Amino acid sequence: MHLPEHYEFFCPVKINSGNRALEQIPFELDALNARKPLVIARKDDSERGLVDVIVDAFKDSGIAVGIFDGVPVAPDLKLIRELFNIYRDRGYDAVIAVGGGSVADTAKVLNIAVSGKPENIEGYAGENMIKRTLKPLIIVPTLTGTGYEISRHAFFNGKDYTSHFLMPHLAVIDPRMTIPEDSVTTAATALAALAHAVEAYAGSGKNPLVDAYAYAAIQLIMKNLVNVIRDQRDRNGRLSLANAHAMAGCAFSNVAPGVAHKLGKVMGDVCHLPPGLCMGMLLPYVLEKQVSEGGYHISDLLLPLAGFDAYARMAENLRARRALEILHDLLKDLSKASGGAISRIWKDAQVSEDALQKIAQKAVSVGASFDINGCVKILREAREER
Amino acid sequence: MDMPGYYEFCCPVKIISGHDALEKIPGTLAQLNAGRPMIVTDKGVVGAGLIDIVVNAISNGVKIGAIADTVPPDSDLRIVNGLARLYREKGCDSLIAIGGGSVMDTAKGINIIVSENADDLMRFSGANALKQALRPLITIPTTAGTGSEVTPVAVIKDHEKHLKMAFVSNFLLPDASIVDSRMTLTLPPAITAATGMDALSHAVEAYTCLAKNPLSDSHALAAIRLISDNLLKVTVNPGDRKGRLGMASAAILAGIAFGNSMVGMVHTLGHSVGSVCGVPHGACMAILLPYGLEYNMHKNGHLTAELLLPMAGTEVYAATPKEGRVQNVIALIRRMNQELYEATGGRHARFFKEVLDKDGKEMVPKEKLPDIAETALRDGSIFYNPEDLDYNDFLMVLEAAWEGNPLDTCLIRKG
Repeated sequence: MHLPEHYEFFCPVKINSGNRALEQIPFELDALNARKPLVIARKDDSERGLVDVIVDAFKDSGIAVGIFDGVPVAPDLKLIRELFNIYRDRGYDAVIAVGGGSVADTAKVLNIAVSGKPENIEGYAGENMIKRTLKPLIIVPTLTGTGYEISRHAFFNGKDYTSHFLMPHLAVIDPRMTIPEDSVTTAATALAALAHAVEAYAGSGKNPLVDAYAYAAIQLIMKNLVNVIRDQRDRNGRLSLANAHAMAGCAFSNVAPGVAHKLGKVMGDVCHLPPGLCMGMLLPYVLEKQVSEGGYHISDLLLPLAGFDAYARMAENLRARRALEILHDLLKDLSKASGGAISRIWKDAQVSEDALQKIAQKAVSVGASFDINGCVKILREAREER
Repeated sequence: MDMPGYYEFCCPVKIISGHDALEKIPGTLAQLNAGRPMIVTDKGVVGAGLIDIVVNAISNGVKIGAIADTVPPDSDLRIVNGLARLYREKGCDSLIAIGGGSVMDTAKGINIIVSENADDLMRFSGANALKQALRPLITIPTTAGTGSEVTPVAVIKDHEKHLKMAFVSNFLLPDASIVDSRMTLTLPPAITAATGMDALSHAVEAYTCLAKNPLSDSHALAAIRLISDNLLKVTVNPGDRKGRLGMASAAILAGIAFGNSMVGMVHTLGHSVGSVCGVPHGACMAILLPYGLEYNMHKNGHLTAELLLPMAGTEVYAATPKEGRVQNVIALIRRMNQELYEATGGRHARFFKEVLDKDGKEMVPKEKLPDIAETALRDGSIFYNPEDLDYNDFLMVLEAAWEGNPLDTCLIRKG
């Protein structure tokens, strides 16, 4: 077992998961010394009835929740100012973010504003610019989003905010909220979480505590993702995936983002593809390059990917290879389970050679640890699904 | 890995681990807006020279408000009250607890009093009676076992009124726990062995009892692996710094696992032997662990069987037929006890009849077993054990564990 000479780990997030988890929120707010939460959501999640479920969960608590369900897909600072005024003027003292992606990012940035200096929010962008605990933040993940809602990252209006204090105090995972929108979105979100967990588990920043979160996340995704894509009624599978997203976010928050994350994120932007899908598609190719360079923990990855028996039976020198095969197989199975939707999107993107160069350059400029040629090679291999 | 119908998991303690992790304390305190800590510890820790190491490591960055080394082996309300007074007199703003379980419990008790400005600790006993964050608390474990450096629990005894108060609240969780190999290097082999088996029992019960969840599982598996790799090594060779760090991480992982999943009959009986006969907790855990697994086998044998992988590695696991794995795990734990017994020159007890006090007197006389079984009936920790036990069942297990005989499976009541 890999034990670094020195490591640090911090995960302030409490996870409440399962039946009627939402009904626990009033007690949790009380423990956080908050009484008046503001629920923020996207319009379409609100129209799907998700906000009503939360409001219902507060019915017997005597707590009146505020609702703002107008978070757009690409929010900006104007929205933060608007939300800040609502929060301050109406005396809210906590934020509950329903759903992932832009809602979680908005909630985190709003929390910076209401906890500190609202006039200089972008001054907190960057690494570790936030120095103390912020106001209570609860995130209720759905199965749609970035896959790193429960992490120390917020990507907002072109800026990257990174601090452990941005992590929510509480992640509430309730089967009533984990209703998939469509199979591609569900798969993309889960693949982002998988990429984060895998890169944490196999990367150089690993330690026993990172491993514990990543291990559980990988195992849950491997066991449930294809089933959920095949049959959205798989309630236990959906709950497991949402759990895995939270766990992956905790692991991801304690390591530097990996190459699959960085390349996938840039590729998503450049090619207008779901970034999580790109991360997942690129992941086996990134790992393959790392295997060939040695020094990574990819053979250990077979344990959470394949389970105890398959891991123990496989000769040590073949484990890394088998781990990569399993990741490739997962992508194939996912595509089949989605009725071909996933590979159609991937092929239809028709990523040009120029685009590959552009993605590689940008990823290297934001710190991807391979050189440009290495990145291009991975992108090309993934494009052609070699 | 099955998803429970409902579970909660939380460990907001920052973990800092390394051969020179102590040096991170001033920065950690500063982040918590504190700089004048009171150090809480015991005479044993001072005697081993560990306080000097800590003071040297931190005195550049912080002003130590007070050093209190009067914590007894068993936490005590009077001491808690006295140290809370000292904290106030010296104008401290935070706590650093250096030691084992009793020191951690004492520091948590002091923290309740000084943060809540309370004079009656009793008011805060039970579950979730605390309503707000306490003063910054940093824990530095000097044994690798109890896990109380990362648990939301404190047990304080009122020796005058013969009361044991338990406090459970996430606000009792320390802000940071510092794992430094220098802190466990001088731990004597017998205590190393017992506390290490304590950690193993936390992890094994977390994995095999009823309140498990995916995260307690993954923490438990990692702990078991680290203990299997390192416990015998550091018992034989106390100066093995890497092994010490491995055990310290294992204790934390096991503490997080059982703090989020509860435990079962090994702890129920262990608490009772401890309270009736005064046997150190770790020694009880080491003896009882194989019996708990035997007793529950018809309910959770499939889970116990999985532990063969972290305990014995891939080759043994793959070479053992599925139906043989559970017996193999139990045999391995007995073998660990045997090897630790040999490595400590017989000081690590394998059975209760071997547990001796300082004067070489038997600590668990056979005629006390009925008392212990009676006490176990009143211990709440049995709630999450896979199989029920009544008085006769407890006594049957105790008798076997006293003598050192495996359980007679015909005698296990299968409900």
